[in-house]
Amino acid sequence: MILQILLSGIATGCIYGLVALSFVLVYKATEAVSFMQGELLMVGAFAAVALAAAAGWPMWLAVGVAVVGMALAGALVERLALRRAMGQPHLTAVLLTFGLGLMLRGGVTTVPAATHGVHQLALPGLLGQVQLGSLTVSFAHLGVIAATVLTCAALAAFFRFSRAGLALRACSENPRVAAMMGVSASGMHTLAWALGAALAALAGILMAPVTFVHPGMGVVALKAFPAAVIGGMHSLPGALAGGVFIGVAEALAGRYLPEGANHVTAYVLMLVALLCFPRGLFAGRAA
Amino acid sequence: MKQALALLTLAVATVWALGLDYGLGQLAFVATWAIAGLGLVIILGQSGQISLGHGAFLAVGAYLQAAWVALGGPPLLGLAVAIAGGALLGALASLPGRRLGGLAFGMSTLAVALIVEEALVRFDGLTGGASGLSVPALTLAGWAVVDPLPQFAVSATALALALLVCRRLLNSRLGRAWRAVRDDEGAAEASGIDTAHAKGLAFAVGGALGALAGALYAHWLGYLSPEQFGLQVSFELLMLVFVGGASRLMGAVWGAVVIVALPQVIALLRDALPAGVANMAGLELVAFGLVLVAVVLWRPAGLVR
Repeated sequence: MILQILLSGIATGCIYGLVALSFVLVYKATEAVSFMQGELLMVGAFAAVALAAAAGWPMWLAVGVAVVGMALAGALVERLALRRAMGQPHLTAVLLTFGLGLMLRGGVTTVPAATHGVHQLALPGLLGQVQLGSLTVSFAHLGVIAATVLTCAALAAFFRFSRAGLALRACSENPRVAAMMGVSASGMHTLAWALGAALAALAGILMAPVTFVHPGMGVVALKAFPAAVIGGMHSLPGALAGGVFIGVAEALAGRYLPEGANHVTAYVLMLVALLCFPRGLFAGRAA
Repeated sequence: MKQALALLTLAVATVWALGLDYGLGQLAFVATWAIAGLGLVIILGQSGQISLGHGAFLAVGAYLQAAWVALGGPPLLGLAVAIAGGALLGALASLPGRRLGGLAFGMSTLAVALIVEEALVRFDGLTGGASGLSVPALTLAGWAVVDPLPQFAVSATALALALLVCRRLLNSRLGRAWRAVRDDEGAAEASGIDTAHAKGLAFAVGGALGALAGALYAHWLGYLSPEQFGLQVSFELLMLVFVGGASRLMGAVWGAVVIVALPQVIALLRDALPAGVANMAGLELVAFGLVLVAVVLWRPAGLVR
């Protein structure tokens, strides 16, 4: 029973963690607090659904194109709009990203096919479940966890070994020194938003087999703030760990606490973390 | 004086363009929103703190007023109860500000607002839960305020009183302390200002004004549900202050004019669009987002500075 709860908690937590990762990545590189990660997630999931179901592309191609397309869209939005918020107070970026998010959500809502009818993304190999003793393991949960691990490994390799990844890290640590060493700071901001949008889209696509794809699915990104705060706001591994922590805590609260408690668990944990560990539970181990 | 004249002209134009009842109803909403915006101007513009969950204060005021009236209490006293409740929640919400600054504190206000919203859904015995709750009309001295004209009069009176109180506060020792904290918290502390106290009082005043607006809003609308006070409202209030300008009190009034006028303009535009595009639900969201983005891109530091 407890294993069952832990497994589903970890799978949900991986989604939170991926969104938190995209949020922290953008925040570290550009200091912009993004309130549109949930909408990017939703648009990414819809893009995959549209390409796979409506256009009839093979599933993996549709997913790949959706993620790459969202990365390009993220880069484009950074170039056109988000750049203007650089160096302004936090509130400017908050309002700007919230406005862009409204436009994305409204834009998807105006497509009749998106709001009418139920959409699900049938990722091959992720349907069905297997019985291990008393434990029922759904392939969707396993797939989410596996995809998260793979994504994080790829991200870690990117940040450690590639020139662009090192430059992005340098730019996040100290933009002025990085600029003096020949790193294009504005190019890195574009890269950060591209990566952030792609990660959010990936999270949305991974969510799709578990929940339905609908215009309001972006609310899940509200749980990314507690995850990022618990991770210390500046640490990528911390954000992921924070997401998994929130997911597991919610699953446990849903089982053992009175009804409704699981809806506020994440925010209560966030308040506790802010008050007791303002630098995150994993302080001192920033990536 | 010039501003008062401009507002009067605008009010007359509104009533002339929209008809007496509808126009006055909209003006009542402008005044009510302006009261809530005033609270955010104090928090954001005067004391320099972020509140990402201001909708929670409106929610607390609205539900306290609804519960008080439902229990048979005199409505005018209910407004006082709502104001006190909002001030209390504001003081509570500002407690993390003793340890946190800037963005981290903004995140804590967001957490408080999300918890309040969930609590309103959960305690459905008192609040009607997600299905909502109807609120009787405001009665003052045995006289029910149901027509737009008295509604506007009540809201405008409340707004005028709130403006007077806020102006006095800004010129007081507390107001100077707020600006000192905003401009340089360390220097304020070194000058002997109790910064935690000053920041807490800013939130108490902001929360009280938000709750007053929420209580009036509950009566004018006659119906409450928790999602009316979600993240959307908190951001509309931020937008209100951003557009109107956070550095002066009248910014809240001008911002409120824009926020209330915007859906009207969008409705007009929707009528002008071809039928196939016009009937779609997301259009309002897109237009709202578009205006927000355009305003922020046009003047990233706020419209009126």
